[in-house]
Amino acid sequence: MNLYSLYMKFFVMSANASEMSLWERMKPPVDISTNGHLIDSLFILTTKLILFFFILVCIGLFGFSWLYRHKKHPKPLYTHGTSKKHVAIVAAIGALVFIVIDMQITGISNRDYMEVYNNWPKESEDIVRVEVLGQQWAWNFRYAGKDGIFNTEDDIVTLNDLRLPIGKKIVFQVSAKDVIHSFSLPNTRQKIDAMPGRIHKMWVELTKPGVYEVVCAQICGTFHYRMKATMTVYTQEDFNKWQDEMQQRTSFAMEKESADLYWGWKWIANN
Amino acid sequence: MTTTVVKKTLSKNDQGQEIISSVGMIVALVSFAMLFATLMMGFAMFRLTAPVWPPAGMTKPSLLLPSLSTLCIFLSSVCYMKFEKNMADNRGLIATIVLGFIFMIIQTLLWHSLKTQGIYVSSGIFPSIIYAFTWIHAAHIVAALAMLIWLYRNVQKGVTPTTQRQAGNTGKFWHFLGIVWFIMFVTIFVI
Amino acid sequence: MAFFEQHIHDEPKTFLSKYVFSFDHKVIGKQFLWYGIAFLGIGGMMALLIRWTLAFPGEPFPVIGQFLFPHTNGVVPPDTYAMLFTLHGTIMIFYAITPILIGAFGNFCIPLMIGARDMVFPTLNMLSFWLAFVSAILLLASLFTPLGGAAGGWVSYPTLSTLIGSPGIGQTLWCLALFVLGVSSTMGAVNYIATIITLRAPGMGYFDMPLTIWGLWLTAILNAIFLPVLGAGLLLLTFDRVFGTTFFLAGAAATSGSGDPVLFQHVFWIFGHPEVYILILPAWGIVSDLLSFFARKPAFGAKATALAMTSITILSTLVYGHHMYTTQMSPLLTQSFMMLTMTISIPSSVFFANWLGTIWKGSIRFQTPMLFSLGVVFVFGLGGLTGLYLATVSTDLYLHDTYFVVGHFHYTMAASVLLGGFAATYFWFPKMFGRMMNETIGKIHFWITMLGLNGVFMGMMVVGWAGMHRRIYNPFVYEFLQKLIPINTFITVSAITMGAAQLFFVYNFIYSMVKGPKAEQNPWGVGTLEWTIPSPAPHYNFAEIPVVKCGPHELGNPNLKGDRDFQYQTEELVECNS
Repeated sequence: MNLYSLYMKFFVMSANASEMSLWERMKPPVDISTNGHLIDSLFILTTKLILFFFILVCIGLFGFSWLYRHKKHPKPLYTHGTSKKHVAIVAAIGALVFIVIDMQITGISNRDYMEVYNNWPKESEDIVRVEVLGQQWAWNFRYAGKDGIFNTEDDIVTLNDLRLPIGKKIVFQVSAKDVIHSFSLPNTRQKIDAMPGRIHKMWVELTKPGVYEVVCAQICGTFHYRMKATMTVYTQEDFNKWQDEMQQRTSFAMEKESADLYWGWKWIANN
Repeated sequence: MTTTVVKKTLSKNDQGQEIISSVGMIVALVSFAMLFATLMMGFAMFRLTAPVWPPAGMTKPSLLLPSLSTLCIFLSSVCYMKFEKNMADNRGLIATIVLGFIFMIIQTLLWHSLKTQGIYVSSGIFPSIIYAFTWIHAAHIVAALAMLIWLYRNVQKGVTPTTQRQAGNTGKFWHFLGIVWFIMFVTIFVI
Repeated sequence: MAFFEQHIHDEPKTFLSKYVFSFDHKVIGKQFLWYGIAFLGIGGMMALLIRWTLAFPGEPFPVIGQFLFPHTNGVVPPDTYAMLFTLHGTIMIFYAITPILIGAFGNFCIPLMIGARDMVFPTLNMLSFWLAFVSAILLLASLFTPLGGAAGGWVSYPTLSTLIGSPGIGQTLWCLALFVLGVSSTMGAVNYIATIITLRAPGMGYFDMPLTIWGLWLTAILNAIFLPVLGAGLLLLTFDRVFGTTFFLAGAAATSGSGDPVLFQHVFWIFGHPEVYILILPAWGIVSDLLSFFARKPAFGAKATALAMTSITILSTLVYGHHMYTTQMSPLLTQSFMMLTMTISIPSSVFFANWLGTIWKGSIRFQTPMLFSLGVVFVFGLGGLTGLYLATVSTDLYLHDTYFVVGHFHYTMAASVLLGGFAATYFWFPKMFGRMMNETIGKIHFWITMLGLNGVFMGMMVVGWAGMHRRIYNPFVYEFLQKLIPINTFITVSAITMGAAQLFFVYNFIYSMVKGPKAEQNPWGVGTLEWTIPSPAPHYNFAEIPVVKCGPHELGNPNLKGDRDFQYQTEELVECNS
């Protein structure tokens, strides 16, 4: 019996305890997007690089502590570290960290950010448009419906129920009613703040059908932790079927008088 | 007796005190400046991102009262400089204090007139800025007036190197508030 | 240099003037120390309540739970949970770390280490403490208001912190408390800056100051410049709450609007990012000094360390935007903030190189202050390097607002600063109270703290990477987080361990103050000015203002005659041509 299972046995009394390995538990949620792997791989690269430097620090810290402890090394070396050699070494370490870690990951991150996450799909493309409105403590979603125009009678409006197809670019425009929320899809590794009075946007493309969770990542009051929505990812056929079904239902669900239902805004085109 | 002559007769200790208190005052003024700079940054952000300014449905308040208060605070600074040149004659200080009170009265009138025009604190971002910024500035003016009155009492007892130091530092604060008001006047009321 | 000589006043006689409304920087320092330690206890207790809730949601908190939350049978309710993490953050940052490192050690060390008899403005100093006291009363009073204390997170982003999100008076009191504390800290900062500029002992140039003083000085500069920024933000927020202005109000729920909540985030982080350096700079300074003192060897590249600290101070004012990557700033801004943030790693690596250079070929004595200083190097290494994930935009998109951030900033701000504070306490305790702290208990305290601390904060980073976001009452309502129960339990167990370790410290601190062995004048064998006077430091410190002739880190010079291996700063530097 190893330490981990011992720990699980004695400290953790939950039902689903011991089947999963520790490694499995430490993994992020499954990646269902086309671009999530960019973040994962940058994370892993950064981890490798900083581990390298942290191990160097540890070798210095523990090694020197061991080698130069008072008992073994009673006569210290008298140096102020101002000689040319010493200054050069310190400067070299500074430059090394900057070049080896910083330039690399900044370069990669900058490329990902500019070419992927901030590279908005063209309006002319076949994209799914969703308007997201956060409120205390629920997510409202709005699809344009048949006419393709938001805030009309044939919109599909759902509460805490986000349905998306795979294989299409999905653009969210996100806002909030009362306080700041953060529309976060851990399975796509992306999030964007939902702010009252502002419309932010985010785009993803999904790959795996299934049922996932939408998270509010920004503190928004007492029941912040309950502000979750379900994200159901369909194949394209299933998504179309769902949309048609909803379309028939909405025509009499959306009453003209109820102003609350018309919280949507005119889609803001990117290009 | 001019200031330069006085400085020569200062003891070493008084010179040291003078340097120390002005270092302290300058650091404090940097802090105050950052406070107002933050407010101005906020204003700039609203001003530059707004499509129209003042925001729709708003008109700028009339320039009459703010101009008067600007004039007041300008004159008070001039009087104070006169007083600093010759501290034995404290009429300049009295004039500064009186003008400072007049400034406060004009500010109160300004808030009152805004209210009668129907511009309330809660009626949008532009009134919010006008009210909040002038409030914060006025609070500092009140503090500065208290300092001036305290200085007046000290000067009445006689001009010493200590009171000169106090006059110098109070003056820095008073001129600073004058400059802040001028910037507010130009950016919020005029432009 | 010393522009004038402070006179030696008689020691005040009455209890009130000697211990309560004292002008003496040493007494004010001790007052701040008690204040900070008391709040450290309160904040730590809050942390345990938070951890308990996360590991065992729905279970009553043992022992005191029934007393604290009688309505829920000892279970922390969700609204209280929000207050707990808000006040935990606020208290730890503004009421525990700031008073201990800046208030206590700033006050205590600055005049002693630069050879002055007191601060330049003793009255301002006293006022600074009592304003901090008023602020503490305001903060604690907010807990007893009808709707409870502030619950919007320590960043208190509007519109959650406006009337829309928190209608109670508690949030207003929170704003006022922080404003008053800001005024208090600014007063302290003005005092520190002026003292260091004007009262250095004759002969002491800026680079002859111990690095502790450098750290405290730069901190004071940042405080004086950036606390007013927070002050302005808090004032506007208070106006929004009390007078109905609309600076931060927007959206459908705001009855009148057209303000912008993002403005507050900008203002807050313009202050907030320098704030993290405000907290860490004194610890860096202390550690840089202590490593040299206990390795019996001059600080490696002391000038470079001081300059690196200065450049970090300057850079820290330019990078605040990395807290706001998810607010969709313009891409150009985002990119520039990312680049600027990255440049901070250059001066940081200079520190590390210099720290390691200091212990390289030293003759290291592992007394308690040294252990804590080495601990700072370890945890700050981890904390600093994990900052890289959050500096790059794309990884931040995932990690923002997760426990990874929490783990990262606890490593840098909590762990490093706390360990630095402990190092300083163990180190200057003899000069403060005239007695030594117990070494054995100190070492036990160190090792258990290190164990618990790494368990907690490493665990936080792990669950953060696994997707657990911040500030949630019960993470396990999310299916994808349910697998994290055991790790959360582990974090909580570590947190309890870490909390328990502090009992050793409290016992050691109080016992040593009363019954510890009497300290000699210079128990550590160090040459800075505070060790040239008796322990505890007498009222008005120096009978005669010392004249400084060499740097603060003159240890281990082979040409030294006699049985000392160090030189006092008041002695002529012994030449050494090696």
